[in-house]
Amino acid sequence: MIDGAPAVFVALEQSDFASAIRRSVWLYPAANVGHIIFLFLFAAALGVMDVRLLGGLAATDPARLLARARAFAIVALAGMVLSGLMLFSAEAGHLALNPVFQLKLTLIAAGGVNIALYEFMARPEVQRLAPGIPMPARARLAGLLSLLIWIAVAACGRSIAYF
Amino acid sequence: MLRIVSVLAALVSIVGAAIAHHGWGSYDAAKPVTIVGPILTSKFENPHATITVRGSDKVWTVTLAPTSRMVSRGATEKVVAVGQNISAYGYPSTVEKDEMRAERITVDGKTFEMR
Repeated sequence: MIDGAPAVFVALEQSDFASAIRRSVWLYPAANVGHIIFLFLFAAALGVMDVRLLGGLAATDPARLLARARAFAIVALAGMVLSGLMLFSAEAGHLALNPVFQLKLTLIAAGGVNIALYEFMARPEVQRLAPGIPMPARARLAGLLSLLIWIAVAACGRSIAYF
Repeated sequence: MLRIVSVLAALVSIVGAAIAHHGWGSYDAAKPVTIVGPILTSKFENPHATITVRGSDKVWTVTLAPTSRMVSRGATEKVVAVGQNISAYGYPSTVEKDEMRAERITVDGKTFEMR
């Protein structure tokens, strides 16, 4: 199943760390459940941010609301990365070759690029916006892209097992 | 407000779908097979325990269940250890050659459901 996988991923799969995750009765399921719980938190925080950027929750102060939601999103994302690394390690060689997993990582990278573009090109303007003032087009676009990208990431994540 | 609720509902429904576990989609339930023979290798590991079995025609890789489920049903690591004679009823993979997913296994006259 891991024939042809890059050596680094085969080595990871064969490491003591990965073996311990596979051998434990509860570690793998715990990482699985944790991944979903952090996904739930991330989706909630992300939903608030993207809805605000798209023009919803217009009566709120964008800088404050976005900063608060961002703190939750960062914690949730860190939790997803940690639990995801555990799940990945257990089957690293296999997953590295999985086309849906590759698509998922590409989409996560795209989500990161979207965040970076927003930070540099839209955030300074959004930070100064008073409640009730329409969002600039660049901010709305970033919000829409974020929503689409991260929903696609979630869909890919669930689809890995079927490819 | 309605817009926010509908967006959040869409997100929640995705999370809900994600809770459902690994499927049987890549196994052909229309062509069930029973493999009888000795266990050659055994990995009692997550996400699924897997064994190889020397069947009458060839060596099969048999995918079992998550280890917690196996243990709770009495199909412990010893039950599926190397050298045990096993009968595995299940469905051949449509993706992996010579792999099947067991619906149930019988060892020493005891049958264990894997689903």
